[in-house]
Amino acid sequence: MTGDARRFRTRRLPGILATGGLALLAIVFFFPMVWMVLSSFKSNSEIFRAPFALPTGIDFGRWAEAWEVGHLGSYALNSAIVTAASVFVILICGAAAAFAFSRYRFRGRGFFMSLFALGLILPLQSYFIAQSQLFTQLAITDTRLALIIPYAAMGMSLAVYLLKVYMDALPHELFEAARIDGAGDFRMFRTLAMPLLRPGLATVAIFSALAAWNEFLLALLYIQDDTLKTIPTGLLAFSSRYVTDYALLFSALSIVTIPMIVIYVVFNRHIVEGITAGSVK
Amino acid sequence: MKSTRPVTPYLFLAPALAVFGFAVLAPMLLTVGFSFTEWNGFGPMTFVGVDNYARATADAVFRDSFVHVVIYILATLVLEVALGLGLAGLLSVGRGGLWFRVAFFAPVMLPLVVVAVLWSFVYNADFGLINAGLGAIGLHDFQRVWLGDTSTALLAVSFVSGWVFAGFYMMIFYAAFRQIPNEVLEAARMDGAGEWALFRLVKVPMIRNAIAVAILLCVTGGFQGFDLFFVLTNGGPYGSTEIPTTYLVKTVFRNGDVGYGSAMAVVLTAIVLGVGFVYTRLHRPGTTA
Amino acid sequence: MRSPAKHLAALATGAVVLAAACTSAPASDNVLRIAMGSPGEAQIRVWDDVAKQFEAANPGMKVELNYQDDDLYQTIGLQNLLNGRNAPDIYFEWTGNRLAQRVKDGFAADISSKFDSGPLAGLFDDTTLDEYKIEDKIVMVPYSADVTNVLWYNKQILADAGVQPPTSWEELLAVCDTLNAAGVTPIASGNKDLWAAGNWLSHMASRVVGEDAYVSTLGGTGKFATPEWEKAFGYITELADHKCVNESANSIDDNEGAQLFFQGKAAMHPIGSWLVSWAIDEAPDLDFDYVNLPAMPDGAGNQDSVIGVQTGFVINAKSAKVDKAAEFMAMLNSDENVQKLIEAEVTPLTKSASAGQDIDSRSANLTALLNDAPAIVLPPDTGYDLEMADALYAAEAAVLGGQQTPAEALGGIDKKIGR
Repeated sequence: MTGDARRFRTRRLPGILATGGLALLAIVFFFPMVWMVLSSFKSNSEIFRAPFALPTGIDFGRWAEAWEVGHLGSYALNSAIVTAASVFVILICGAAAAFAFSRYRFRGRGFFMSLFALGLILPLQSYFIAQSQLFTQLAITDTRLALIIPYAAMGMSLAVYLLKVYMDALPHELFEAARIDGAGDFRMFRTLAMPLLRPGLATVAIFSALAAWNEFLLALLYIQDDTLKTIPTGLLAFSSRYVTDYALLFSALSIVTIPMIVIYVVFNRHIVEGITAGSVK
Repeated sequence: MKSTRPVTPYLFLAPALAVFGFAVLAPMLLTVGFSFTEWNGFGPMTFVGVDNYARATADAVFRDSFVHVVIYILATLVLEVALGLGLAGLLSVGRGGLWFRVAFFAPVMLPLVVVAVLWSFVYNADFGLINAGLGAIGLHDFQRVWLGDTSTALLAVSFVSGWVFAGFYMMIFYAAFRQIPNEVLEAARMDGAGEWALFRLVKVPMIRNAIAVAILLCVTGGFQGFDLFFVLTNGGPYGSTEIPTTYLVKTVFRNGDVGYGSAMAVVLTAIVLGVGFVYTRLHRPGTTA
Repeated sequence: MRSPAKHLAALATGAVVLAAACTSAPASDNVLRIAMGSPGEAQIRVWDDVAKQFEAANPGMKVELNYQDDDLYQTIGLQNLLNGRNAPDIYFEWTGNRLAQRVKDGFAADISSKFDSGPLAGLFDDTTLDEYKIEDKIVMVPYSADVTNVLWYNKQILADAGVQPPTSWEELLAVCDTLNAAGVTPIASGNKDLWAAGNWLSHMASRVVGEDAYVSTLGGTGKFATPEWEKAFGYITELADHKCVNESANSIDDNEGAQLFFQGKAAMHPIGSWLVSWAIDEAPDLDFDYVNLPAMPDGAGNQDSVIGVQTGFVINAKSAKVDKAAEFMAMLNSDENVQKLIEAEVTPLTKSASAGQDIDSRSANLTALLNDAPAIVLPPDTGYDLEMADALYAAEAAVLGGQQTPAEALGGIDKKIGR
C-alpha cells in the first residue's frame, strides 16, 4: 500500500467514518422533533393515515390557535416570572454565601459547607412531602411564591459550590489591596467580587434557569390554578384537554421546543463551560 | 482574610442558609418526624412509632418499585452514560461540531413533559410512529403495545430517558476529552494507534474521573426519576413501571397518607445517600489527576 | 448546642408553630367561593354567566369560581380546599359515601328549609330530593344525573358484520367472535387511568353478585375474595379469552379510547352519557346508539340495573354566607339558566328541565333510562372509598389484561385495603 493510502486510512478515514456515524445517529436523535414540527402543519386525519408523509403546506394557523386556546402565553409568562425570580435569589444569596466560604475563616464554616454539599445529593423526595404540608399551612400554595422558594433553595447548593470554585480562583492580592485601601466587607463583595464573578454567575444563571424552567413535580403539586401554571404543567393540562387533537398538540409542543433549541445554540459556550466546571471536581 | 466584624461572614451566609434551611433542611427534618405518625394532612396526627416502616418493608408494591428503578438505572447507565461516551468519542474524531451537539443535546433542554407527550404518541400502539414504521416495512410481528405490555413498558421509558440524556453525558465526556493534552494523543498516534485503540486505551482511561462522576449522577438521578414515568405510564401497565417516586406521590397526594408516604421517602433518601456515600468513599482514595 | 444546630431547630419549630397557628377560619369577606372539577368549556360559560347575574343582583359581592383538575378534586383537592384558608362556600359532590362523609365532617349544611320556603322552593320534585338527603335532611342541591356506563355501538359496523347489538352476555361474546373474525376490534376501551373499564366491569360485577352484595362489599363489609365475586370476575376472564377488548386498552386513556370508536376502528365502546355531545362534535357522520349492559347469565342482581351518578352542590356548613349561597343556587336553577345548562349538555334535575327541549334523542333516552331504572348502582370511585375503588379498578384491569386470575386479583384487593 502506498504511503498516501496509509495516511488516508489512519488520518482521514476515521474522521469520515466518525462523522458519518454521527450523522446517522444525529438523524435518529433529531427525527422525533423534526417529525413533531412537520406534523403540526398537517391535519389530524393526515397524521393518522400517513404519518410519514410531508405536510402539504406550511400553515402556522394551528400554531396561533395552540397559543390562544392553550394559554401558552400565560404559561410562558409564569415560567418566566418564576424562573427569573428564583435565579435572582440564587445569584444574590449564592454569591454572598460563596463569598463567605471563600474569603473568610469562621466558626462553623466546615459544617455549613457540608450542609450545602448535602443539598447537592439530597433527593427531592426527602423533603417535598413536608415542604408541601408547610406551604399548605402557610397558605402559599397556588401562588408563584410556592415555586420560587423551592427552586431557589434547590439551586442554592450548586450555586454556592460553583461560585466558591470561581471565587477561590480570584487572586488573594486583589482583596488585600482593597482592604488596605479601606474597603469594607460589603463594598468588597459588591464592587470587587461580583463583577469578577460574572462568568461564574452567567453559568449558574443558565443552569438554575434551565432547572427552574423545566421543573415539573413541584409545579404539579403546588399550582392548580390554571392562570398560574408554568409551561410543564400547563402543557400537561393542555395535552389532557386536547389529547386527540394531535396537530394542535404538536403545534403547542413545537412552540415550546423551538425557543429552547435556539437558546441552546446561542448559549452553547456557557453551557459547555458550566458542565466542564461542574464535572472537573 | 479577616472581616471587619466577626458577625460579617454569618451575615453573608444568612440569606442562602435561610432559604435553603426553610425550603429543604426543615422539611427534610419534618419528613422524618411525619414518618412516625399517621396523618392525613389536616386532621389529627397520631404517633405510631415504626409502624409505617414495618408496613413499608411488607409492601410488595414498594419493594417492586425498587426493582423497577434499579432496572431503569441499569438501562440508563447503558443508554445514557455508555452511549454518551461513545458519542463523545465519535465527536472528538469526526467533524461538524456544533450541529451534532445541537442534535444530541437539544432534548436535554426540553421539559420532560414535552418529551413524554411526544413519545406517548411515538409509542402509541394504534397509530404511533414506531408501529406505523414497522408496519410500513412489513414487520407487523414486531409491533407491540409498547407502553401497555409489561415486558416492554419499563424499557420503553428507559429508552426515552436515554434519548434525552445521552446528549448530556456526551457533553460531559466531550469536555473531558478536550482536556486531554494533545501531545499524549499525538504520541499514541505516532506509535501507530488507530482511533478505536486510542479511544479504548488512552482517552477513556484518562477521563476516568469524569466517568465516575457521570455514573454517580446517573444513579442518584435515576432514583429520583419522576416526570417521564408519571406522564408516560404513571405506574402502569399493572404496576410494572411503578417506581418509588410515583408510588410516593400517589400515597401522599391521592390517598392522603402523609405518615406512610414520609416513611417511604425516608427509606428512599437513605438508599440514595447511602449509594452516594459508598460510591464517593470507593473513589476518593484512588483518584488520579 | 452549637449555634447552627440551634438555628436549624429553631427554624423547624417555628415552622411547625406557624403551621399550627394557621386555622381554617371561614372567610367573612363578601366573596362567594364555588369549587368544582373541570366541567368543560360549555358548562364553564354558563357558570360564568350566572356568576355575573348574581354579582349584578348583589352589588358589592363577588363570585369566585374555582375549577380544579378533575382527578385532583376527586382525590385530595376538595379536602385541601375545605380545610384550608378561604374554603369554598359551595362545592360539587356526588351522592353516596362522599356526601355522607361531608356531613360527618361538618361540611354540609342542612338546607331543607331553603327547599320548603326558601329560594329553592318549587324547583325540584320531592322524589328527586329524596336522593339528596342524609338522615332525612336535604344536604345538597341537585345538579345533574348521568349514566356512568352503557355500551355504545357503531350501527354501520355491526350491520356490515351482520350482527345485532347484544342484549345478553352470550350474545356479547358471540358478537366479539364474529367481529374478530371480520378483523374489527369489537370493543375499544381507554383504560390507562383504570376507571373507564373499571366502571363498566364493576357494573357487570354488580349484576352477578347482586346490588346488596355490591353495596356491602364496596361499602366496607366482608372480603372481595369470595365465590360470588370470583364468579363475577370469571366473566372478565371470558372477555379476555374472546379478545373482546383492544390490546392497547391499558396504555391509552379514555379520550384516546373514544377516538378509536369515533374513527370506526372499533365496533363498541363502553362509556358514559357524555359521549353523545362529544361524538356529535368529533364524528358527525358516526351513526351510533347504545344498549344498557347486556344481561348476565344467572346473576343475583337486577339485570336492568343502571350504573349512574347523581351530582349536586353542597353548601358548606362552615360558611358565613349560607343564605347567599342558597340564593346563588336558586339563580343557577332558574328556568332560563337551566335551559342554558341543557344546551351545555348537562341533564339538570329541575322540574323545568323535564319540560323537554331540542336534545339528542339518545341523551333523552339515557335520562329516561336512569329515571326509570329499577335499580341504580353507584360507581366505585364516586360512591365509595377511593382507595378501595383504586384497588378494585386495578384488579379488574389486571384480569381484563390476562395478567391475573380472578382469585389472585380479588385476593390482591383484600390485601391492599387490609381486609
